[in-house]
Amino acid sequence: MTETTLGEFEQLVLLALLRLGDDAYGVPIQREIASRTGREPSFGSVYTTLSRLEDKGLIASRLGETTPQRGGRRKKLFAVLPEGQRAIAASVHAVRMMARGLGGSLLI
Amino acid sequence: MPTMRTLPRIPWLPRALLYLFVPAAINEPLIGDMDACFFDIAAERGTRAARRWYWYETRRTLRDLLVGRAIGRSPETHGTFRGDGFMPTLLADLRFAFRMLLRRPVFSALAILTLAIGIGASTAIFSAVRPVLLDPLPYPNATRIAAVWESDTDGSSSNLGFTTFSDFEEQSKSFEVLAAMGTGSGILTGDADPMVVDGLRVTPGFLHVLGVRPMIGRDFRAEENTKGSPRVTILSYRLWRDRFHADTAMVGRLITLSGNAYTVVGVMGRDFENLLEPKSQMLTLLRYVATDPYACRDCRHLRVIGKLKPTITPEAAQRELSGLLAQIAQQFASKYSSTAVKVPLLKHDLTKDMRTPLLLLSGAVVVLLLIACANVANLLIARGTQREGELAVRSALGAGRGRILQQLLTESLVLALAAGAVGTVVAALGVRGLVALAPSTLPRRDAIALDGGALVFAALLCAGVGLLCGLFPAIHASRSNLQDGMKRLSRQVAGARRARGAFVVAEVALALTLLICTGLLVRSAERLLAVSPGFDADGALSLRLQTGGTRYRNDTVTRAFFNEVLEQTRAIPGVTHAGFTSQLPLTDDFDAYSVHALGSSQSNPALDPSGFRYAVSPGYFEAMHIPVRSGRTFTDADRAGAERVAAVSRALAQQLWPRDNALGKLIRVGGITDSTRTVVAVVGDVHQVSLDNGNLNAVYLPESQWEGADGTMSLVVRSSVGADALTRAVRNIVGRVDRDQPITRVASMSEVVASSASSRRFTLVLFEAFGIAALILAGSGLYGVMSGRVAERLREIGVRLALGATSRDIAALILREGAMLSMTGMVLGLLATAGVVRTLDNLLFGVGRADTITYFAATFLLTAVAALSCAVPAIRAARLDPLVALRSD
Repeated sequence: MTETTLGEFEQLVLLALLRLGDDAYGVPIQREIASRTGREPSFGSVYTTLSRLEDKGLIASRLGETTPQRGGRRKKLFAVLPEGQRAIAASVHAVRMMARGLGGSLLI
Repeated sequence: MPTMRTLPRIPWLPRALLYLFVPAAINEPLIGDMDACFFDIAAERGTRAARRWYWYETRRTLRDLLVGRAIGRSPETHGTFRGDGFMPTLLADLRFAFRMLLRRPVFSALAILTLAIGIGASTAIFSAVRPVLLDPLPYPNATRIAAVWESDTDGSSSNLGFTTFSDFEEQSKSFEVLAAMGTGSGILTGDADPMVVDGLRVTPGFLHVLGVRPMIGRDFRAEENTKGSPRVTILSYRLWRDRFHADTAMVGRLITLSGNAYTVVGVMGRDFENLLEPKSQMLTLLRYVATDPYACRDCRHLRVIGKLKPTITPEAAQRELSGLLAQIAQQFASKYSSTAVKVPLLKHDLTKDMRTPLLLLSGAVVVLLLIACANVANLLIARGTQREGELAVRSALGAGRGRILQQLLTESLVLALAAGAVGTVVAALGVRGLVALAPSTLPRRDAIALDGGALVFAALLCAGVGLLCGLFPAIHASRSNLQDGMKRLSRQVAGARRARGAFVVAEVALALTLLICTGLLVRSAERLLAVSPGFDADGALSLRLQTGGTRYRNDTVTRAFFNEVLEQTRAIPGVTHAGFTSQLPLTDDFDAYSVHALGSSQSNPALDPSGFRYAVSPGYFEAMHIPVRSGRTFTDADRAGAERVAAVSRALAQQLWPRDNALGKLIRVGGITDSTRTVVAVVGDVHQVSLDNGNLNAVYLPESQWEGADGTMSLVVRSSVGADALTRAVRNIVGRVDRDQPITRVASMSEVVASSASSRRFTLVLFEAFGIAALILAGSGLYGVMSGRVAERLREIGVRLALGATSRDIAALILREGAMLSMTGMVLGLLATAGVVRTLDNLLFGVGRADTITYFAATFLLTAVAALSCAVPAIRAARLDPLVALRSD
């Protein structure tokens, strides 16, 4: 089975999607990452990454409803596909393996 | 619950940028997200904070979006989005193109300059052509204004007499309004120096026909058009501004023109162009009645225009008026030699003289542009072969052929835009030159300018040129099959070489066509100026004197004035001859009458030939050196009361008395009412209208023997004194005789002859400029191609040298190739010329389409330039060190 490697920001986005579940679109994803990591990614980088993940076949998108504030522009909602779940699981596992035992020096 | 406030507005500029640059797939949701956040922040922290955030986030988003783009897809990062935005790649290409241009300054400068010449010249010509040929007339009724002409038996147009005009006005159903006009001039006196003012005398409907109104004041009223009512006038904007200092109380003011008081009733606006008579500064009323002697049917001196009714076409109006005239002519057959009426649209009427020259100039400038494009295309192809390495890398990195094509085309577009910028400067200079050179016959000369329309034209031209020049080189370069080890396939090299050869052959062909056409025009101009005008232009000075004012209504006073001036002028030391004439040859003076020979077999007065009438003083023929072929010249004895005499030109004598001696014959000038005059001399023919106009009929009368004195006469003085001193002397004399009478139009007869050909000269000078430019471009194009060939064949030359070829052999080798290209080009050029030269027919004079001298000269010139262009590379090749050549790759 071919391993899809994930970039660092791709991991964060996938994790955010998993946390948000059904209502994952641009704004909450960005807010989730911002509140949890302290980094404020731009919409550009978030959407770039989402598109890349979709190209890699790890997530799927669908068009949602709109609100007046969006001026008639529909949301794009994202969900993690099984392949994506496998990828993020493998990724997180790999990091854990590498970090095991480092404890003190990592100041977690 | 707070009431729904109006939503704050999202800043449009960052929104637009997002719209443009965010790829289509996420455009909608991303902007939607941005907007939603905007309103949240606005609700939380206020509108200004929200706007600041929007800008900030847009910047970041665009930065993150665009950073990802590379020249192709990188295998690792999987590149950017599906659907690379067009804009991001375009921006990348633009930046790269600029860098490339700067990196090769010589190439860029050469290409830019070459294109700039083509684009600049084309834009300049466009600025001249547009107001004349393309724009509608600057009047609201432009599409419905037509001119009305009577047609002579030979088809030429002639003015109308007042009575004919009145009949048309009364009976025609095709026009809403008709107006007649005649030129006139007067002397404005008053607070400032006396000033001659050209004016237009019109019937009250004149401004109605055009559809314009005065800027201040009002139009004429019908009751003001009757004799005896107070005189009124409408001023031009320029006269009002310059002479009357834009007096806001101008309307109602009295001004004095030629001794008469006129009330100003209106002033025209600044944008009003009087295309019927551009020089005129005032409009006054014609005030003719049918009983006036000069209102007769065959006193054809009025120009007529009319506003067609909405559904009537010019052709229908023409038919109607011709029918009307035929009816009228049944009653007055002697007055109308032909009953045809011409009703052309005013626009066509005004532009018909300059139409052909302008179209030809447009053609010539297009040829120049094509040569420039071919030159630059060659430069680009040559550069393309040099960049094969770089393109290979791009291709290996994943850039598709379309992507490379886009990049190369962008580069040539950038080149073209830079050329456009420089070309605008060229065009500005060109326009200034055009206006300075423009003949007075060029209508709407004041409208020639480098304005918005011309700049748009220049921009479009840049785009077109960029694509044209870049397309073939780009397609060729992107087609290179570079997969196998980046080796240059010989097929590509051959393709490039053939293309460059084809382009340079085309350049040579086009250049030859242009040169031949220029040569024909040069010869025509030469032939024209070689035509003897009928008088001796060297050493003769002309000054036009105009009398005006109440005193000069008396013929005796007028004649006394001119005679006094003439006497004193003759007394100036150095003056050999002096004389007056009512009409000066080769100016726009035009005064013609029918001449009837008594006792001739031809009895229908309508078929009498017409001739130019000259009322002259004794000494005129001598001053102009017009030869008296038989008979005697006029003397002081030929005055009022003595036997009425006349002199006729040889052409008129031939026409009236083909087999007889003209001397002693009797004629009447202008109709039955004229007294009989005896012909006492036949003089040499003189060109009145222009050197190429064959109407040479003229009748000369002693001015004292004509009913009514001509108020405007031209003094011709032949002397050994310089023109300036002579002018001053005559001015002094006129000032002493009567200070208030101005001298207008001082010109040596040589200047008069030269400026009569000014329209021809205009076309010629421009063609010469284009021809020289084409020659230079073709020469440099050849040079470039031949140098390239030498570089390509370096190895081969080295081998030949090593095998024993002499430098002469090498030079001959290169020259042979150059000769092949040049000769092919010239043969094609000759063929092209054969097809194109018929368009020059109207402008040729005294030379045929196939004038061998011209063809030889043009071909010789081009061959010389081509030989020079090929010789330099050939000599360089001959001097090559065989070792160096062999080592090259």
